[in-house]
Amino acid sequence: MAADFAQNTLDGVMLGSAYALLALGFTLIFGVLRRANLAYGPAIMLGAYAATWVHLSFRPGLFALALVTIAGATLAGAYVERLCFAPHGRRTLSRDAAAIASMVGSFALWMQLEELATLWLPKHLYTFPPLYDGPPLALGPLTVRVEYLAMLACAAAACFGLHWLLSRTRFGLAVRAVVDQPDAARLAGVNVPRVYLAVFALASALGGLAGYLIVAAHEQVTPMLGMWSTLKGMIAMMLGGLGSLPGAVIGGLALGLLEAHSQWLAGPQYRDLVAYLLLFALLACRPAGLWSLLRGREPATA
Amino acid sequence: MDEFAFGVLTNIALFSFLALSAYLLLIAGEMSFGQQAFFGVGAYAAGIGTAMWGWPLPLAAAFAMALGAGAAWLVGLPTIRLRGLYFAMATLAAAEMFRILFELLHYRREIDGDLVGPDGTQGFRGIRWVLERGFEPHEFLALVTAILALVLAGFALVARSRLGARIRMVGEDPELAAVFGVDVARLKLGVVAAAGALAALGGALYAHHNTYIEPRNFDIMLGVHSLAYGLIGGLGTAAGPLLGVLIDIGLLESLRVFQGWRMVVFGGLVAVLLIVRPRGLLDEAVVNRVKRAMSTR
Repeated sequence: MAADFAQNTLDGVMLGSAYALLALGFTLIFGVLRRANLAYGPAIMLGAYAATWVHLSFRPGLFALALVTIAGATLAGAYVERLCFAPHGRRTLSRDAAAIASMVGSFALWMQLEELATLWLPKHLYTFPPLYDGPPLALGPLTVRVEYLAMLACAAAACFGLHWLLSRTRFGLAVRAVVDQPDAARLAGVNVPRVYLAVFALASALGGLAGYLIVAAHEQVTPMLGMWSTLKGMIAMMLGGLGSLPGAVIGGLALGLLEAHSQWLAGPQYRDLVAYLLLFALLACRPAGLWSLLRGREPATA
Repeated sequence: MDEFAFGVLTNIALFSFLALSAYLLLIAGEMSFGQQAFFGVGAYAAGIGTAMWGWPLPLAAAFAMALGAGAAWLVGLPTIRLRGLYFAMATLAAAEMFRILFELLHYRREIDGDLVGPDGTQGFRGIRWVLERGFEPHEFLALVTAILALVLAGFALVARSRLGARIRMVGEDPELAAVFGVDVARLKLGVVAAAGALAALGGALYAHHNTYIEPRNFDIMLGVHSLAYGLIGGLGTAAGPLLGVLIDIGLLESLRVFQGWRMVVFGGLVAVLLIVRPRGLLDEAVVNRVKRAMSTR
């Protein structure tokens, strides 16, 4: 019993690191632009489909597949930014109206990217080469899959890397200036549209990395990947608290832990029910998310 | 006209109920990702009413609307003070809970030798009240259109009334509305319940048009679509969401030219349209211009 609990907790942390990676990209976009990008998952899906096609056609190494996924997701993300986010500036629209127009536009491109991917590779399931073929690692009575360890390491590295980028570099300074005062940043010589595009590309690249690790761990690619990535990334982001990088990681891990335990106790339908129930309850009682509970902060406004 | 055309037109009318439900919340300033849940509640409730309890459709539809309003009110109660993405995510979470509850719902009884009723993920077949009464496709279309016309008349009446002005005021600036003495939370809760009832009415008719429903019908895709309809068609008038449904289902699904590429075309079209008209085709400015032109004539 205790061993089962420990194993489920371990599995939850591993699953949660995948969610955390997805949530980090989502949070980066929301934190900087204050708008939700619903096409985030489908961009990742397009990257994964590009990698699957390259794998079927040329059988390159794993590193090349990872690069193709990241490049595909980044390109698709930049396309979404150009078409749905860049045109809706603050000059002509109120902030709320711009956010809604961007979000609905990104939903329209979600449909478009998803259909493009399935027109390209129409089967319901494609196998994807695994990151590592060997048996799972044994830690005493517990086992861990190597792929998930890689995911955990990447999530931690991405969180610290982003923090460093935002707090210690010139680019990060420009990003923070744009978040706080876009007009003042423009007057100070920051190229605001370019910062937005760069943040979008960076977030999509991060999503592409998450997508590669996830399909390599699942060893398959299906048309569900787009919606799954958007939903899990968004839920993890909301659970942790909108717009906070540590919150994204904590939200991802919390979602993974909750899913692992509730699946083991009650099965997959109740797993999803419990996850949505927690999200609903948290939004109703503490909209600022789990991270704000840990830090004892008052809820921030979106 | 053939049966296919009647089917398409009936679908346009049915999804208009859902689009109007999302639109009602949009003009009150809330964006819901979850109206499909109440569409589903209405479909299940009315289906159970006619197919299992032997009720006539009007009674079952009224029951569905009451249940839809109640469910929406319950969801709205703890979430109504949330705004923007927070409210959207809370309604999404609630709607997915409803969908999973439909998956867990097993309630069947034997009627004329057949087991009828919701059977979890297997869905709910045999909602045949309309079929058994010998409605022709065009008659059912006429019925649905008539009910939709009544709903639109209701929207037009409310839009001209003080209530309509209050709803738009709350949507545009809740703090200002509160200063003017509007009880914002209560008004919004009323709107939430009305939107739930409207979605449930659509769902009740949808179940009887299709005779078969399953939990998957009421997923997040349906919800975001119904929200998008209003934003594409325009938020200035209740005709906006109808125009949105017409463009999506009418133009693209029925014109078989786009076979397979429907979403590629639709997605690109909507994204470009929003650049030119971020508040939809029939936005407030267009509606005001039309009103002015009508009054000066």
